[in-house]
Amino acid sequence: MAKKPASSKSGGAPVNVSVKDKKTLTSLRRVADDVATCADSGRAPHLDVPSRSLSNVRFNKTKRFLEMGGGTNRRELFNLSQAKSYMQTLLISSGCKRLIEQGKTTSLRGLYYMLKHTIEGTKEETFEDQEDSDSVIEDVEVTLDSLREEMHLYASNRGNLVGPITFIDNGDTIDCTRMGSAGYSIPSICEPDVIQFKDCKADFILHVEKDTVWRRFAEDKFWKKHNCIVSHGGGQPPRGVRRLLHRLHNELKLPVYCLLDNDPWGYYIYSVLKQGSINLAFESVRMGIPEAKYIGLRSKDFDRCKLSNSVKINLNDQDIKRAKQIAEYPWFKDKKPWQKEIQTMLGQGFKLEVESLISKDISYVTEEYVPARLQDKDWLD
Amino acid sequence: MEESVLKRTPAKKSAPKSAEKSSKHEDAEDEAVAVAEPEEQAEDKSATNGHAAPAKAPKRRATAEKMAEGQRDISVSEFFAKNRHLLGFDNPRKALLTTVKEAVDNSLDACEEAGILPEIWVHIEVTGDNRYKAGIQDNGPGIVKAQIPNIFGKLLYGSKFHRLRMSRGQQGIGISAAGMYGVLTTGRPVKIVSRHDPKKPAHYFELQIDTKKNKPEILNGKGEGEDLPKPGAEYEKFVEKRGLEWVETPHGTRVTIELEAKYQRGRGSVDDYLEQTAIANPHVTIHYKDPDGKEYHYARAVDVLPPEPKEILPHPYGIELGNLVTMLQSTKATTLSQFLTSSFSRVSSSKAGDVCEAAKLSTRANPGRIGRNDSENLYKALQNAKIPPPSTDCVCPIGVQKLLQGLHHVVPAEFYVAETRPPSVYRGNPFLIECALAYGGSSQAVKISFEALNEMLNETDARTLRQFLINGFSGIGGDAADKILTEAGFGTRASPGKLKKEEIVKLHEAMRNVNLEEGQTMNVMRFANRVPLQFQPGACAITQMIMNTNWRAYGLTQSRGGLPSGPVTVMVHVASVWVPFTSESKEAVASYPEIQKEIRLGLQAVGRKLSMFVRKRLKVRQEGERRNVFLRYLGEVATAVNEINGRDRNKLYDALLKVAKRKTEVADKKIDESGKFVDEEEADFGENVLIVKHDEPLPAATGGTVEGSTSSASSAKKPKKKKS
Repeated sequence: MAKKPASSKSGGAPVNVSVKDKKTLTSLRRVADDVATCADSGRAPHLDVPSRSLSNVRFNKTKRFLEMGGGTNRRELFNLSQAKSYMQTLLISSGCKRLIEQGKTTSLRGLYYMLKHTIEGTKEETFEDQEDSDSVIEDVEVTLDSLREEMHLYASNRGNLVGPITFIDNGDTIDCTRMGSAGYSIPSICEPDVIQFKDCKADFILHVEKDTVWRRFAEDKFWKKHNCIVSHGGGQPPRGVRRLLHRLHNELKLPVYCLLDNDPWGYYIYSVLKQGSINLAFESVRMGIPEAKYIGLRSKDFDRCKLSNSVKINLNDQDIKRAKQIAEYPWFKDKKPWQKEIQTMLGQGFKLEVESLISKDISYVTEEYVPARLQDKDWLD
Repeated sequence: MEESVLKRTPAKKSAPKSAEKSSKHEDAEDEAVAVAEPEEQAEDKSATNGHAAPAKAPKRRATAEKMAEGQRDISVSEFFAKNRHLLGFDNPRKALLTTVKEAVDNSLDACEEAGILPEIWVHIEVTGDNRYKAGIQDNGPGIVKAQIPNIFGKLLYGSKFHRLRMSRGQQGIGISAAGMYGVLTTGRPVKIVSRHDPKKPAHYFELQIDTKKNKPEILNGKGEGEDLPKPGAEYEKFVEKRGLEWVETPHGTRVTIELEAKYQRGRGSVDDYLEQTAIANPHVTIHYKDPDGKEYHYARAVDVLPPEPKEILPHPYGIELGNLVTMLQSTKATTLSQFLTSSFSRVSSSKAGDVCEAAKLSTRANPGRIGRNDSENLYKALQNAKIPPPSTDCVCPIGVQKLLQGLHHVVPAEFYVAETRPPSVYRGNPFLIECALAYGGSSQAVKISFEALNEMLNETDARTLRQFLINGFSGIGGDAADKILTEAGFGTRASPGKLKKEEIVKLHEAMRNVNLEEGQTMNVMRFANRVPLQFQPGACAITQMIMNTNWRAYGLTQSRGGLPSGPVTVMVHVASVWVPFTSESKEAVASYPEIQKEIRLGLQAVGRKLSMFVRKRLKVRQEGERRNVFLRYLGEVATAVNEINGRDRNKLYDALLKVAKRKTEVADKKIDESGKFVDEEEADFGENVLIVKHDEPLPAATGGTVEGSTSSASSAKKPKKKKS
């Protein structure tokens, strides 16, 4: 979140607009002015939205993360298939402008409700559902080259963390060793102006995929024994989690290890954490952790840990398709161990979830599996 | 004796022996009786052997003589009394329709044959539980006293069976069967009033059919019938007592039949039949009073009778060998050449010469002495000869103009096209196919009034609303029905009988508001010799050909092997001196390859015109839609911009609007102020097309402006349909 103006409650009085906000407002105004100029001169208005697809993403081998290319998609008002999204883009822009001027922030869902209404004279809604508006918000982010928080927007919290670290979150001191059973809920915006690191005793970060596994680690006090931070992102980690991990890694020099499912989706979570996502490649520089390691699960674990047949989940067509896609990504393509990993999984025809280790013993994962991997430095990079 | 019998069946030697023993034992009683007649006994044995029954021989139940007592003539009337479904009396609802239909068809035939512009009165009234009285009167020539009982009281009696001439009726079954049905179900006699001479009073008969003898029985006037008294108090009393409703005309016939029936509106109803009859017969005036006392008047649109169809001689291609032999035997002609030219149509004397030469027969041969082989040669020669198709004046098309008018009168649409195919021949019977198509506009469901809907809901026997919508309205398919129900907020299984008033209002509104164009299925109207066919669409060659035609090629959507969807009405008319029906109830046309081919060609012809129109309209509409999409969002865009940079919203909106208009100019070219499609290039479509601008509310459509290349259509008197 951008600077929270101190005088936001001054009831209609002009709010202090920060430098960042001014920059965002200028970009917003530029979009609107463009429409007006076009209309005045009788031209059809359009927007050039940087393309957020694989074709416009480049893997920077030296920096080791994804970068957004210069490709744009032209979005025209007078194009049948684009008219609605053009209208939505402008609507989002005006909504953000209102937020900035009033010095308030809202969630993605909040903005969706703020702008959702029936278009005059029709039965059509401006936005059918939140997904509609979320993707347009991302478009606006890239178009304006402003981050979500600069547009006074945040996403709902997802992901938790536990471990020997103390944050100052929005002025409150938070000791993450004393956060009860649920741990510290990672906020959507983890910029330095919101969260500062006060004290950190941890040696590394273990990021796990989902809540179930995370709770196992928390309950077994794994973080205490191994002096580390354990976090999870509820599946594909949201930007807040990634940003926080990135900062912990870079500012406190904590190595990051990932414990994810052995399936295409787990691979991609690792890929996103490590080199950024294709969809939000413009954020990679603030979020990618090229040094992150993948400690499991591995396709060889079925034999190595002598798991029972019943934990196998057969690959479906979608899994196979996705696995092949991932194997083709340039940042996986040159890594022989990864190619071997994916091929093994495809060859075996089944995937494994981290939870499957529970079938051995309820604390097998915390007491044997992870310690052994860390000890042996047995991971994929 | 026994031995000889056994010898006859040597293969069964061992088995029958034991069988014989047991049977002997069993038949001990019989033997005692039959001692005196050993021969008969032996006969019995042989029968046993013949059946080769292993243990028991079945007892003879009856002798041939006994059975002969029960063997006797089955009269046609008895046969049909038991098989009423063959004639279209399978259920009460259909019975009512068939009765009206047979009477109206007969009336129209009679009027046309006599050269009178037909005027028909139809009155249906309720007389009790599931009992209705149907009265049908015409202004026809009337029927002479002596023939009335036969025509109305005897099955298979008529003038139309023995000639090859285009007419509605064929067999002479219909009206007498209707009468018989009435008598069977209610016991009330058929009442007939007929007048053929303006100077004489009308004559009145009460008839009943003796089903055993297939003979009419006259109940009144000691078997002679009675004359209607002169107008006055006596007349009133006479009419009142007998429940007659004779409309005073100088000549005409009225038949009144009371029958067990069910009256129901919607598809396949009497109303529907009369409406369709009006389409195919624009020269007819129909007055119709329904059981609720509502009157409908279909005034004639044309004051000219269709040309009189000529009776024709059989065509050589339609004859069979046996037929030919009979004709050879019975002809009055003295030479073969004369026989050929006088007994067949389209055989000239030179053609007859060619045929005789091919058959290696002399043209001067005596037809009566042509032998079996020679007649076969002659038959082959006739089949192989190149003989022109039968004369075409024997089948009268409705005609492109009248088809367009008729269709336009009843089906509101934007585009009409009609095609009359040249006559063709199946089995030597000339026939002709006409196709007409109406496209666009709204379905019947949209124009229905609240009261009519209310009544239909009360009458329907559909279990669910969905079924009610699909069966009750032409053009509503499953998809459309679902849409309507969703819009009105009903479940699909809602019962139509128990709707509250507010719910009916909702349904009515939904029916008006829902865009049915997408979910509509093609509405098919089938006609044979100007008679609407309303049942058994699946068995009919017309429906089959429509489903086999690839309508996707003409711009409609169509699922495989089904009727196409869209706001389309297709009408197909089969005119022939002998329409081949699949059954006596005349509900479906049989699939002769020649007929199928002509129907296909006819449908393709109208289809091509349709595709021209649809494509053009689609283009315009796409542009229009494009603009609509833009217009929809312009306001939002202008508001957003205004909010960001404070530009004047309205000015910006206008500026954007200008750009939008320029971007979608194509739409402008063909859209007038009212937003509807007008095409300057109609000439492209050819002669047989009618394009209607109709923006005005639907009832006005019948009197609406007609624009098109068919000048006569727009100038002709519009048929009016009014409800009182």
